[in-house]
Amino acid sequence: MLKIIIPSIMLIPMTWLSKNTMMWINPTIHSLMIALMSLSYLNKLDITNQNHSLKFASDPLTSPLLILTTWLLPLMIMASQHHLSKETEIRKKTYISLLILLQISLIMTFTATEMIMFYILFEATLIPTLIIITRWGNQTERMKAGLYFLFYTLAGSLPLLIALIYLQNSLGSMNFLLFPYNKHMLNSTWSNSLLWIACAMAFMIKLPMYGLHLWLPKAHVEAPIAGSMVLAAILLKLGGYGMMRISQLLEPMTNYMAYPFILLSLWGMIMTSSICLRQTDLKSLIAYSSVSHMALVIVAILIQTPWSFMGATALMIAHGLTSSLLFCLANSNYERTHSRTMLLARGLQMTLPLMSTWWILSSLTNLALPPTINLVGELFIILSTFSWSNFTIILTGLNMLITALYTLFMLITTQRGKPPYHISNITPTFTRENSLMALHIIPLLLLTLNPKIILGNLY
Amino acid sequence: MFRRVLRTGLGQSLLIRGLGTRSGNSSLGWDGNVSEIKKKIRSLMPGEPHNFLYDTKHLPPEHSDVVIVGGGVVGLSVAYWLKKLEKRRDAIRVLVVERDQTYSRASTGLSVGGIRQQFSVPQNVQLSLFSIDFLRNINEHLAVVDAPPLDLQFNPSGYLLLASEEGAAILESNVKMQRQEGAKICLMSPEQLQKKFPWINTEGVALASYGLENEGWFDPWSLLQGLRRKVQSMGVFLCQGEVTRFVTSSNRMRTSSGEEVNLRRIYEVHVKMDNSLEYQPVECAIVINAAGAWSGQVAELAGIGKGPPGTLQGTKLPVEPRKRYVYMWHCPQGPGLETPLVTDTNGVYFRREGLGNNYVGGRSPTEEEEPDPADLEVDHDFFQNKVWPHLAQRVPAFEGLKVRSAWAGYYDYNTFDQNGVVGPHPLLVNMYFATGFSGHGLQHALGVGRAVAEMLLNGHFQTIDLSPFLFSRFYLEEKVLEQNII
Repeated sequence: MLKIIIPSIMLIPMTWLSKNTMMWINPTIHSLMIALMSLSYLNKLDITNQNHSLKFASDPLTSPLLILTTWLLPLMIMASQHHLSKETEIRKKTYISLLILLQISLIMTFTATEMIMFYILFEATLIPTLIIITRWGNQTERMKAGLYFLFYTLAGSLPLLIALIYLQNSLGSMNFLLFPYNKHMLNSTWSNSLLWIACAMAFMIKLPMYGLHLWLPKAHVEAPIAGSMVLAAILLKLGGYGMMRISQLLEPMTNYMAYPFILLSLWGMIMTSSICLRQTDLKSLIAYSSVSHMALVIVAILIQTPWSFMGATALMIAHGLTSSLLFCLANSNYERTHSRTMLLARGLQMTLPLMSTWWILSSLTNLALPPTINLVGELFIILSTFSWSNFTIILTGLNMLITALYTLFMLITTQRGKPPYHISNITPTFTRENSLMALHIIPLLLLTLNPKIILGNLY
Repeated sequence: MFRRVLRTGLGQSLLIRGLGTRSGNSSLGWDGNVSEIKKKIRSLMPGEPHNFLYDTKHLPPEHSDVVIVGGGVVGLSVAYWLKKLEKRRDAIRVLVVERDQTYSRASTGLSVGGIRQQFSVPQNVQLSLFSIDFLRNINEHLAVVDAPPLDLQFNPSGYLLLASEEGAAILESNVKMQRQEGAKICLMSPEQLQKKFPWINTEGVALASYGLENEGWFDPWSLLQGLRRKVQSMGVFLCQGEVTRFVTSSNRMRTSSGEEVNLRRIYEVHVKMDNSLEYQPVECAIVINAAGAWSGQVAELAGIGKGPPGTLQGTKLPVEPRKRYVYMWHCPQGPGLETPLVTDTNGVYFRREGLGNNYVGGRSPTEEEEPDPADLEVDHDFFQNKVWPHLAQRVPAFEGLKVRSAWAGYYDYNTFDQNGVVGPHPLLVNMYFATGFSGHGLQHALGVGRAVAEMLLNGHFQTIDLSPFLFSRFYLEEKVLEQNII
């Protein structure tokens, strides 16, 4: 653990003390090394749990998310290079430091052993993200986006704080390792229902669940590219991870308390997929597709079967990489045409063929093509929801169909067709952009060969 | 340091105003402060405009996909067709920037308002046919919920073009071409002319062409208001401001023949507010130049024409403002209600105005007598010396006319070949032109709007092929001369 945390903390002085010519190269390379270190040391599947210290531990649920976090930082720094090129040096360094701070809080969040520490760091991740969205976003709407983001999450988290403190008082310790041994059954009183809702709401908002998802399209669309990437890839998964942990304490109320949320998510995933079909703004389309995929994760976590937990973990990792990749692709379009409207950037296959390869691969993974891990996740979830209730197969099947429809719609609108006249002078793809896409897609495709490392705790 | 951060924080180049004077105190009193805070709280509600630092209602948005420079009938027509032809609702964000919201010097409001199909270039005939079809069904096209229907006051009286001996052959071939395109024009000999219009003096006239259908004049101001209303209801943002700067990025590329060319693209437009130094940088993907008489200046701002003369970079947009006078007179013995818009062999024209024996008319001056376009002052001597004698000769009743009023307006005159410039610029890839119509912009506006929208959305012209009107003809020296300029 120390060999990940200390280098991450030291990335900040390294950024500030770098020469201006090395300012981008240093953090990128060093964060890539940290990511490689996290790969090799955090993936011991024969051990159920690795204790790094008294306060930090990792288990097969945590380690894929942790690796995703550390992997994403060099990618975020690479992606931000272009749009920050016109800022002053101090601003650039501030931006990179914010990303690194976010990374540190996320590493600590995912490896925290105490639920209260997890909560504190969960809230702490909000602050750098908020600063990134409101200061470096592109349009005036970013102020509103930041406000929605902050207040939606806070409104859910404050009840969670009270619930956690109550649970700490009644249980004595909120250590994750003790949760499976908890004999304390939640009997069905009104106050216990409120406790259940207080525990669940923050994570539902973060995931986001369909009725509480309004902050997500705003935040994703207005955030700069690094903000969108980290939001889509990691911050949404915080909700899933937290829900998986806390649901061990909420037995047996979850059996019936979860019904409204399951229904809302099942319906919501079809709704948001359908909204994607009518979107004209590329980033907005990808944001709504995130809501749709996360709705599947919510259903899986709430029905609490071994297969569904495996599917949820797998889908979280797969969706993290895919969504982040799609946002990078959308950003490369935006940097060239200065517009997010899909209509204005058509026919790119003719002008940028290698970029269209990345588009095709990312679209194929987004629509859960076999044998990618997206399919593994979705399949496990669909199978477990089918066994939970036969009727859900209609809804999940419909969702898979509509997902395929809107993904192909996005692919064909941006890649095929006759390029409009003003596409004729877009700059060709930079090597940086190509390597960014490759670094997203290579883990995604390699995991196809060995998906058991991302199947989580219950494998 | 804090003040510097405040001044430069939260936004790329938003000017901060009203944050307090240098000494740190706000200049408002108690009530002012309370209302400011109330406004801020109200702006947090969903649905309200969210100006967190200061009032930005008058500024254009920070980002727009298409920026149309010029809010006259051509600019609004492009906006209308862009919104009409987009395949999904709200697919494309359009901003129309108009410098003068009263339209006091815009060619649209000052136009005589005629529409005719009698042109010598086939595309012009097609454009006019398209426009008249639109105008006849205007209340289906421009209907807005709860708004009264538009009354364009279209007078379908036709155009009468008179030709002398020299021009008769050209007139006949033009009419043949117009008939092929679908216009209904008839040719008349001087005897037929005398019989149909007894008030005309047919001396010197060898042949006349008379438009039987779809020609006449209408009220351009109501078309403009109708378009404004409709376009706002479709979601186009209209703002007041003057475009002062285009920020471009350039790219050296190689053509297929191996030569190096510098392709530029505009990614930001600076829109300056009236009577202040405040400007708003609007990030945009496409700019449409529909600035009418001032299109040449807008093109120069964008850097078109900056290069060695004779090259494509050095080819300027040859559109300049030309002042034209229009006179209105009263003549009780003048021609009756059936009078078409008569164009004489020497360029003098007149038409009936209203039902009280009033007429409007004028004449295009020759190259030597071109008036100075700096202002819109009317030269009455021009009427006395150059217009009246010819009017009186052609229509003897006009000897006893009394001039009631006069005004002047600009033609966005294309000095190259007096025909419009439509379509993208070859080197500045995201600037589209819709200008240079030299006096027939109003009648072609709707067709041109559709053509530009199709070019933008589909990449090629679909309904009417305006490829002879592309910018590249200025460099390739291919003139598309329009002979029937009034």
